[in-house]
Amino acid sequence: MQTIIENLQKHFQVVSYHQQRENLGFLIASKEVAVGLITHLRDYEGFAHLVLLTAVDWIEDEHFQLTYLLHHPEKKVDLGVRVMISRENPEMYSIHHLWEQARTYQRELREMFGINFPGSPDVDKPFILEGWEEIPPYRRDFDTKEYSEKTYFPRPGRETHDPAEYMKKKLYPNE
Amino acid sequence: MAKLNDILSPFTAWKHVVREPVTIKDPLNREAADRYRGFHKNDISECIGCGTCESICQNAAIDLVPVEGVDTKDGDSGLRPRVDYGRCCWCGLCVDVCTTNSLSLSNEYTWVDEDPDSFRFVPGAENKSWDNREKGYKKPGNGYELYNPKREAMEELEPEKRDQSFIEIVQGYSKEQAEQEADRCVECGICVATCPAHMGIPEYIKAIRNDDLNEGLRVLYDTNPLPEICGRICTHKCETVCSVGHHGDPLSIRWLKRYIADQNPAEEYKKILNTENLQPTGKKVAIIGSGPSGLSAAHYLALMGYQCTIYEKLPAAGGMMRFGIPEYRLPYEQLDKDINYILSLGVEIKYNVTIGKDITLEELHNQYDAVFSGTGLHMGRSTRVPGTDHPKVYQAVDLLRDIVLGKEVPVEENIVVIGGGNVAMDITRSLARLQKQKYGKVGVLATSLESEDIMPADREEVIEAREENAVIDPGWGPVEIETEGDKLKGLHVVKCVSVFDENRRFAPKFDEEQKKFFPADMVVESIGQGMDLSYLPEAFKEQLDMDQRGRILVNDDFQTSAGWLFAGGDIIQGPDVIHGIANGHKAAMGIDKYLSEK
Ligand SMILES: Cc1cc2nc3c(=O)[nH]c(=O)nc-3n(C[C@H](O)[C@H](O)[C@H](O)COP(=O)(O)OP(=O)(O)OC[C@H]3O[C@@H](n4cnc5c(N)ncnc54)[C@H](O)[C@@H]3O)c2cc1C
Ligand code: SF4
Ligand code: SF4
Repeated sequence: MQTIIENLQKHFQVVSYHQQRENLGFLIASKEVAVGLITHLRDYEGFAHLVLLTAVDWIEDEHFQLTYLLHHPEKKVDLGVRVMISRENPEMYSIHHLWEQARTYQRELREMFGINFPGSPDVDKPFILEGWEEIPPYRRDFDTKEYSEKTYFPRPGRETHDPAEYMKKKLYPNE
Repeated sequence: MAKLNDILSPFTAWKHVVREPVTIKDPLNREAADRYRGFHKNDISECIGCGTCESICQNAAIDLVPVEGVDTKDGDSGLRPRVDYGRCCWCGLCVDVCTTNSLSLSNEYTWVDEDPDSFRFVPGAENKSWDNREKGYKKPGNGYELYNPKREAMEELEPEKRDQSFIEIVQGYSKEQAEQEADRCVECGICVATCPAHMGIPEYIKAIRNDDLNEGLRVLYDTNPLPEICGRICTHKCETVCSVGHHGDPLSIRWLKRYIADQNPAEEYKKILNTENLQPTGKKVAIIGSGPSGLSAAHYLALMGYQCTIYEKLPAAGGMMRFGIPEYRLPYEQLDKDINYILSLGVEIKYNVTIGKDITLEELHNQYDAVFSGTGLHMGRSTRVPGTDHPKVYQAVDLLRDIVLGKEVPVEENIVVIGGGNVAMDITRSLARLQKQKYGKVGVLATSLESEDIMPADREEVIEAREENAVIDPGWGPVEIETEGDKLKGLHVVKCVSVFDENRRFAPKFDEEQKKFFPADMVVESIGQGMDLSYLPEAFKEQLDMDQRGRILVNDDFQTSAGWLFAGGDIIQGPDVIHGIANGHKAAMGIDKYLSEK
């Protein structure tokens, strides 16, 4: 893995590298170099397989983190490429031309996080949500509980108790 | 017009009737993966019904409900989580946050039933086939907690910097520290029942989190008019039941209270607490004793518009908070901050007046509409072993009082303290400081009947006493104080093998073979205090309902059988400051009720 990274650093600016396990590492690349770097990993280093593409909402730091997890079938190692994109302008270059299945991931990210991948086929088509009108639900500022409370009605017969209130009623009702 | 196809198509569906269904019965009856998240399990003997699982569930799938056979008691609400599987998405957040680690998910995921209501049940209380399954999802061990299990450390003065003076040891939290600590609270409110004053603990911790310390102060004063004091020296029973304490350090509730009080300037209290204009009722209440119970009663009565006068035997207010608790634990400045605010509400204190001597109880009864008595426990008890009548044998409470009064206190080079409670630690550590000032070294030893593991003193008191070079040698029973004329030689002790009998009654047993002698020039007894009710005239006492042990009996309003006389604090319940506060508050409401009905 180390030689791959050293090799990579000759061609691309890699911000940081972190070896999590013997067969798994993560690097951070800028939005501008990421697609080139991933292409290089696929075509010259043998990372033939895109395992997944996913995102994390670092709301406090005002960015989304994209993770492209790549697998090397011969060496049996995984490399994660992380890219930070601003929350304000959540847009990333598409990689559907590298892997066909990337378009599905990108559609999902578009729907769940509101991250756009211009040029990715069908990226604006609803993925699993139908008629969604709220902010994208995987964004951390989406209030899941509030949404579920207003959308799904409780079955009749439900009741709950506040522990402190209930203890007062049971243990010191007259105070 | 409808197309022909539209009309026919429902019939074309019929052709599927004979086809194999797409969904198939699980042919292998396969078990799910080892860490699959299936139906919940709950160890309901570990669960405390804190409801944190309910609060975190983003699908509102959990209700807290009473469960047959589970009692509500200190530290346990008696409620247990009931899961509605119509809403559960199996995310496992409830497992990750569970404060007792009682909740988990089994890897069972198949279950067929025609009654939708059966998919709503209390895991652990209603038997299910997966209850004993090992496999499934549990909270991943250390490092995965959703709240910080570690308490924010408190800065303390180093032993070398504190052992010669009475300056405060505990430094208090900074804003960052207090907010970090407050952030650990899961807001379950289990602690509220255990606090004798039932303070709004989660609410004031929340105020710290929201950086709204004025609101915090208002929450404190709802139930406790001595927050600077309690924020320092409260026995903090609340912390013993904190749900976060089950797998981590309990919240530092006491220090958080202190933080709120410390941050609010005294000059602004009246504005913040909205007590600038109180409506007088024209009625008057006399209070005997300015300890926490008397002060608390005065505070709440003053808020309700009663004119209160406190009669205090000593030249300063606070009772044992001033004349018992040493200054290094509770600085006078902070004590006065709380007391002066109460006085600013129009409460008057008459110092150096002893009821029963300077003024009789009868006179108070005639001059006031009601009387509250909170006279406390001030008479030191003696071990009564031979030698205790020697002039070099002292009572801890007398010495502590004299230190505060600025009187000359006898400080010999070698001192033995008898007692293992907090009062014993207070006198030991106070004398150690005075010895260090006088002789440059410490020569004090404390010994108690109780062995180290059952010593009643707080653990940190023992540790800190040792850090200050006092010797603590527990597990010995005093036999005799050896004296020679006006000189004291020391204390003879024998090993104490047990303190209580099977019924938890005090019945110490000794091994006379194991003896020890502690040489000393002075002995201090600190084995408890008794009350002095001599201000109650004999004839009156005979009419008053009292128990066999000579304690005054009161009802839920802390009202005695005399009607006009209320009582609280150490003479009724406790002994600690927070019980005094709670009693005083209830008595104030009782007096209001009594005078409104009169
Ligand atoms: C050394 C020591 C350390 C302690 N440490 C702690 C601690 O860390 N935390 C804690 O919670 N508790 C502590 N306590 C216990 C706590 O101080 C008491 O429980 C509490 O002060 C009792 O309050 P009270 O209102 O009943 O009366 P007290 O505080 O005892 O006050 C009674 C007042 O009444 C006055 N009085 C009595 N008789 C008369 C009379 N006839 N006329 C006029 N005035 C009279 C007394 O002078 C006194 O001021 C400690 C006690 C001692 C002795
Ligand atoms: S698994 Fe998730 S959805 Fe189900 S009860 Fe627990 S927190 Fe709620
Ligand atoms: S969080 Fe755990 S301890 Fe608290 S009520 Fe839920 S299952 Fe019980």
